[in-house]
Amino acid sequence: MIDFIQNTIDGVMIGASYGLLALGFTVIFGVMRRLNLSYGPTIMIGAYFGTVLYLHFGAGLLAVAAAVVVGAVISGIYVERLCFAPMKAGAGIASMVSSFAIWMQLEQAAVLVLPRHTYPFPPLVTGPALEIGPLLVRPDHLIMLTGALLLAAVVQLALYRTRFGLGLRAVIANPIAANLVGVDVGRLVVLAFAAASAIGGVAGFLVLAVDQQVTPMFGMWATLKGLIAMMIGGLGSIPGALLGGLLLGVVEVHSHWLFGPQVRDLFAYFVLFAFLVARPGGLLGRTIDVELSHRA
Amino acid sequence: MDDYLVSVVSNIGIISFVALSAYLLLLTGEISFGQQAFFAIGAYAAGIATAMWGWPLPLAIAWGAAAGAACAVTLGIPTLRLRGLQFAIATLAFAEMVRILFELWRYQIDIDGEPVGPNGTDGFRNIRYVFDHNIEAFDFMMLIYAVLAVTLGSFMLLERSRLGVIFRMIGEDATLASLQGIAVARYKVFAAGIAGALAAVGGGLYAHLTTYVEPRTFDVMLGVHSLAYGLIGGLGTALGPLLGVVIDVGLLESVRLFAGYRMIIFGGLVALLLIVRPRGLLDERLVHGIGRLFRNAKSGTTRTGRGPP
Repeated sequence: MIDFIQNTIDGVMIGASYGLLALGFTVIFGVMRRLNLSYGPTIMIGAYFGTVLYLHFGAGLLAVAAAVVVGAVISGIYVERLCFAPMKAGAGIASMVSSFAIWMQLEQAAVLVLPRHTYPFPPLVTGPALEIGPLLVRPDHLIMLTGALLLAAVVQLALYRTRFGLGLRAVIANPIAANLVGVDVGRLVVLAFAAASAIGGVAGFLVLAVDQQVTPMFGMWATLKGLIAMMIGGLGSIPGALLGGLLLGVVEVHSHWLFGPQVRDLFAYFVLFAFLVARPGGLLGRTIDVELSHRA
Repeated sequence: MDDYLVSVVSNIGIISFVALSAYLLLLTGEISFGQQAFFAIGAYAAGIATAMWGWPLPLAIAWGAAAGAACAVTLGIPTLRLRGLQFAIATLAFAEMVRILFELWRYQIDIDGEPVGPNGTDGFRNIRYVFDHNIEAFDFMMLIYAVLAVTLGSFMLLERSRLGVIFRMIGEDATLASLQGIAVARYKVFAAGIAGALAAVGGGLYAHLTTYVEPRTFDVMLGVHSLAYGLIGGLGTALGPLLGVVIDVGLLESVRLFAGYRMIIFGGLVALLLIVRPRGLLDERLVHGIGRLFRNAKSGTTRTGRGPP
């Protein structure tokens, strides 16, 4: 029983990072209705910015965090300009494949800068786990969970309480109508992309600081985990993204503890598959139509 | 031809099957990230048939194709009613499940005192049919291309047939197609079945070319690549995905000129290409234009061709 509770707590903590990744994904997807496969790799580029500062210039934790976010935003905007902005309406597949090509490009760029397979990443906090009765909670996990909840709240507030959010929701509802009432759609999309990359950057920083290492595989990992959590939670829902992440985390930790790492991944994909077949809208999602066919 | 060239050309032929498989689904308007699963199923099924059951190669490939088609239809029935991204992710989840199941699967028998068969993450070694039957690498390459030629020929016939028109129509607008009385779901499952068989044929050939398969070959990267080939080469003709494979595997994998910068150059070029030609190099318009040119030259008159613009 204690193990079960402990695993659930650990799952929630790890799931928080998945939720964060899904949050950024959801913002991009909501605005673009297109899949950005380069989402994880842009975060990885940010992580490499941070790692270079840490390794070669001895940067502190805050400077590394800032570098990760700035790097993710810069490469995020690069992806938007190259793979999304120039694509005509209805070229959703082209955008997706293009973002995949840029993923390969970013991954190779990262390997050229830092050719070893793994590099150290500065830890968030050092110190023993907190003991709450018989349960153990890692302090860095706690920071990750708090960060996820705070960011989700900020995104939700920004979407529903600010002028920027109002404009974004207008674009999400109908880009043409938004344009007609004077919303600068192109500018707003870039800003949304930058914001999503920044969220991704924060998520990436927290995950890597907990893991204390960074590899070029992080890009693929982040894209897959964010995508799974987003699809489980429901497309286009902020609370859904967070919940999807938490559920994925809990399922993973339990199945890992019971059956080992391979079956953990099997379970994660099975939950995703079962959700898609039985409840395509996910936990909380409304069904947003995806722009994939070439006829808009 | 030297050995290296033969192996590169053979690889191009084999990857073309997965690319054609993803392309067929793209025609019907579906994006699959999971065709590598059927490639894997074909590889394992055909490998087991020759190496463990002693079947002849053609029968083993056919059996692999049947297994691929059966799995694809089984997957297609619950998933094809999903929309765009949801279908794409469902196929991704399925393919990853298949890959992990192969990582967990052990089924070995003793042959000449050696265990043969799938062995979890270590993969499936000693698929020695080609070696045992003294088939030269060059001859096996010709076999790959013979099968590929038949496949391409069938695609060309498909494009001219009623079935091909229906596939493209569903891809253009499934609602409109169903309003015309087309049983969209049935055609989509049918297309998924053929696509599964195609990928599985490629897998069966692959297993016998390399003599071993391991589950991690069949990861998401293979699936996304095969999808990308169609987009790069063009969605107007079955030659499009082939062109995509030739450009990627042939030009870049083989010409080691770009060494560490391959993906930086290639990734950027693909992104730029897709801005100019979002439906690939050989897109519908170009293919149609060429087709019209030929018809005009033959009949000597100008008339508008049929088919999608």
